[in-house]
Amino acid sequence: MNAPVTAKEYDRVAKRSTRVGVVIKTIVLAILFAGAVSFMVPFWVMLVMSFKSPGEIVVSSAWSWPKAFTWDNFNQVLTSPNVNFLLFFRNSLFVTTCVTVGVTGSSAVVAYAFARLKFAGRDRLFLILLSTMMLPGVVTMIPSYVMFAKLHWVNTFLPLTVPAFFGGGAFNIFLLRQFYMGIPRELDEAALLDGATHWHIFSRVILPLSGPALATVGVFCVIGTWRDFMGPLLYLNDPDLQTLELGLQTFRALNDERWNLLMAGSVLVSIPLILIFFVGQRFFVKGIQMTGGK
Amino acid sequence: MDQATAPTPHTAMRPTRIVLVLLNVLLGSLCALAQNAPPDPDLLNPKSEAARKLRDSMATPTNDWPGYLPVSEEDKKRPKVNLRFVVWDGEEGRPVLQKAVREFEKHYPWIKVKFEGVSQNFQEKLLNQVAGECAPDVAMMDMNGFNRLAKRNAIYGLNEFIAKTPGFNLKGYYKPLVDAHSFRGEVYVLPRDIAPIGIIYYNKELFRKAGIPYPDGTWTWDFKPRPELREKCFTWVMQQLTKKDKNGKVLQYGFASGWPGAFLDTLVFSQGARYADDPEEPTKVLFDDPRVVNAVQFMQDIMLKEKWFPSPTELRSGLQASAHLLFAQGRLAMYEVGIWEVPAFRRELVPGKPEFFEWDIALAPAYKDGGRGAPTGGSGYSILKQTKHPWEAWLLTMWMAGPPGMAAMANAGIAQPGIRAQALQEPWTPGPNTPKEQAYPPSRIVTDEAVPYVVFNPTSDLWPEVVSHFNSQQDSVWLGIIDAKEAMRIATERSQARLDVLRAEQRLPRANWLLGGAIGLALVGGILAWVYLPERKVRRTAKEKHESRIAYGFLMPWLLGMLFFTLGPMILSLLMSFMDWDAITPAMYRGVKNYVELGTVDPWFWKSLLVTSIYTVVAVPLGLVISLALALLLNVKVAGMPLYRTFYYLPSLASGVASALIWRRVFQPEGGLLNTLIYGPDGNWNFLGIASLLKTVSPDGPVNWLGNEKTALAALILMSVWGAGGAMLILLAGLQGIPQHYYEAATIDGAGPWTRFKSVTIPLLSPSLLFCLITGFIGSFQVFTQSFIMTSGGPNGATLFYMLHLYNQAFMSIRMGYASAMAWVLFFVILIFTVIQLRLTKYVYYEAEAK
Repeated sequence: MNAPVTAKEYDRVAKRSTRVGVVIKTIVLAILFAGAVSFMVPFWVMLVMSFKSPGEIVVSSAWSWPKAFTWDNFNQVLTSPNVNFLLFFRNSLFVTTCVTVGVTGSSAVVAYAFARLKFAGRDRLFLILLSTMMLPGVVTMIPSYVMFAKLHWVNTFLPLTVPAFFGGGAFNIFLLRQFYMGIPRELDEAALLDGATHWHIFSRVILPLSGPALATVGVFCVIGTWRDFMGPLLYLNDPDLQTLELGLQTFRALNDERWNLLMAGSVLVSIPLILIFFVGQRFFVKGIQMTGGK
Repeated sequence: MDQATAPTPHTAMRPTRIVLVLLNVLLGSLCALAQNAPPDPDLLNPKSEAARKLRDSMATPTNDWPGYLPVSEEDKKRPKVNLRFVVWDGEEGRPVLQKAVREFEKHYPWIKVKFEGVSQNFQEKLLNQVAGECAPDVAMMDMNGFNRLAKRNAIYGLNEFIAKTPGFNLKGYYKPLVDAHSFRGEVYVLPRDIAPIGIIYYNKELFRKAGIPYPDGTWTWDFKPRPELREKCFTWVMQQLTKKDKNGKVLQYGFASGWPGAFLDTLVFSQGARYADDPEEPTKVLFDDPRVVNAVQFMQDIMLKEKWFPSPTELRSGLQASAHLLFAQGRLAMYEVGIWEVPAFRRELVPGKPEFFEWDIALAPAYKDGGRGAPTGGSGYSILKQTKHPWEAWLLTMWMAGPPGMAAMANAGIAQPGIRAQALQEPWTPGPNTPKEQAYPPSRIVTDEAVPYVVFNPTSDLWPEVVSHFNSQQDSVWLGIIDAKEAMRIATERSQARLDVLRAEQRLPRANWLLGGAIGLALVGGILAWVYLPERKVRRTAKEKHESRIAYGFLMPWLLGMLFFTLGPMILSLLMSFMDWDAITPAMYRGVKNYVELGTVDPWFWKSLLVTSIYTVVAVPLGLVISLALALLLNVKVAGMPLYRTFYYLPSLASGVASALIWRRVFQPEGGLLNTLIYGPDGNWNFLGIASLLKTVSPDGPVNWLGNEKTALAALILMSVWGAGGAMLILLAGLQGIPQHYYEAATIDGAGPWTRFKSVTIPLLSPSLLFCLITGFIGSFQVFTQSFIMTSGGPNGATLFYMLHLYNQAFMSIRMGYASAMAWVLFFVILIFTVIQLRLTKYVYYEAEAK
């Protein structure tokens, strides 16, 4: 197996592999296509049902295109007297914006200390940081609830947004620290010689170079916060404060088994994040390179 | 009103109850003696003089009290008061109540009311809000809920308010209703409506077609049809009105109830049996009473053997309809449920329209010995102690649970007034002025006739948890996987054990927070020592000290967050796990009993741990293999890769609630996507032989994926594969990070595709794989949304994920201490798995080390 290969032989192998390559690529494409179709089928079902009348849903097959196409379901969902999807959207937007700003900002600051500064207890503090990455959220869920209750914060956005400004999560700090470590130290040493403070180095040198990493943290945070169900479920009782994700559940509770409305609501709730993904796809895919490969 | 003459019917309650119990026992033994003697026709007939007298003794038939106080000009100048008012009424009720609230605001101009509707888990959410210190001022309440709040001193006893209100006439309210909303003589809920479920909606046309006279309430039921009694035998009528085709498929059901328990309670109560020895403070459960067992068995037989009564499975999967819908479509002859479904039927059955048929209501049957009894709904309003304006809250309560609010509800046909005088007049009971659209059902007087026979389920706050074992065993009986006797034996055993524990624990010592705080501080001190003790010997220059200070400035957000949102809560959680605490009343010290209860008493703990472990151990590796396969395929340079990548990733972006809804549709047994694929649109396919394989789990017909204990978890695992896109993206990024020349070098060395995969791809990808595995495990052990939304943990706990059980304990039962213990157990389970996985690190290749 390990015998040296001559140039002629290598050419032969390479040529054969291009021919084999075409066949392989066709097979791969076929599998990918079939897989993609089956991954999309549930979305398709949701979409077509949202355009069908309740009567048609009962008689027609699940995946057929509606015979009598109607926007009526969306109309009913948006004008429903008991739930206000536009308000839900606004709440989601508010919470997500606050959390994303808080998480990105505070983790960027904290990561700087771990990446660039020497301080007492640094190694062990870093170990603590790493171990909290493995800490399941369930351990802090109940006492946090009690704590926020005693602060009279339940039924406000505060329990969902305020903690984001305090560190932004171990994973994000770690991610940004790794990224900062990759930025040449010569840059900040030059700035130090020019008399810059660490805050200047952080804000003028490191931050401008960390765009892709910050964007990754931001996009993950947007997705995580937007899709969060448990947090709003625990802290937002008032229907006027609910986020889209929780609002859809409230809507479901009121309209159980009315599939035309449920699916229209699901479409409405799913659209914003998919749009965000298409807009932010570039940052996203690039940024992922950093998350897995440590 | 003079204090001395204030009506105090509640002090008389105890002796009355004892007399009633004695009477019951006496009646029971008399009936046992005269097994086959026909019941007294005069007692059976609700129109008889005896029955009328009985009703008059329960509430005065007239009422002069208006339900509000006069408002003077001075009152109108009072400072504004805002109240929050929470109800659970659905789409029918809300607009009506909102209108009544607006009128209330007009009458008392200085009070503004914020109206909120809550659709699910109302009682739990309310208790939750009390614990969360954000309770409303006035809340809708019923006899099953108030006790929990009253015991925690979270709602006001109303006797004092009643005494202070001139002219208040409590005797006008149905007495059983007031009693059910009281505890030890104190009224805690001012009742607004009663809703006896002992009434049966019937389709007159189907009765006519079958040649059976309309029921007048004088019928009886027996375990076997008694053809000799004809229309006087309910069981016979039920049998006669069921129509099947040649193959035994049911075309028309004879009877159904709003939920199986409604009819079961009727069967049990009319035989004179009860579920517990004392409804206010139960000490013994009676689910294994032969009368209960016989009733449960009878229900199973009429559902599964005779098919006169659609089983829950049949409704959910076979028919995909509620009993309400079946009745409205003319496919169900008789329907037992409360009066609250009338407005919906009026809307669905409009005279003159083709779907219309004549219908009415009748009194539910008595047992063959003449005994009657049926469950009842009923509700009212309570004043929360967290309110800052108790008197204004009382004005609202009095308005909504007094004549103005009741008139509004009665007018809409939603709820039978709790004040009897109002239930006897228009608009509740039809008269000459009743508009045509409110004509149905004509015999609304039946709702008054049913009141003397209502039986209230135990109101103790311990009861919901105790009865849950009974309910889950019922579910198994209706599924046909267990017989009544065995099910009731298990139900009795488990619920009695639970009741004993709960009763024993009502006297625990107070938890000592001072000691707890000291332990917490010691723990923090220990951690600080661990961090800083090694630093003692380090000598630093002034510059280094300066840098250290600056660093702590940068670290400050994280350090504070660590203290307040991670470490602090962790310590609190650890302390709480040794307590019994609802976050409302003072915490009690429970020692290790929470952990002992987890291990030895709570059957759902082991079940949920098992379910979650199976889910994790199957779903995470499966997802990883699929993600890896997809990533490898996408890494082949084919056209349109970014597009495919997007397609595979999109499901991970969809809203969790929306996906749960979509997948519920996919898993539907009839017309669901999955079964259409397996069985074909007409049920004749056998896709890849899967249909034959599935015969073992579902011998008769298509699999009810989420409703079948054997397939529900598998279905959720299948669903989890849909979210494989997230890991796929990470692995794809990892793959693209592998330098191409490694492969070229391997090829030159003569490595085939498999060797290249094994010796280049896997080692270089191993950090990403490990990352996905560990985060996948941690996430998967805490999976929640799917079972919360799709199955609520059912059937029979088959999808009761650990987090759902924990959530229910913490936020539904408000057992924060117990749930904290659960959280710590899960923490250690996850820790063990993580440590094992980190042991895999030695097989993981890190580029940095190789250099």
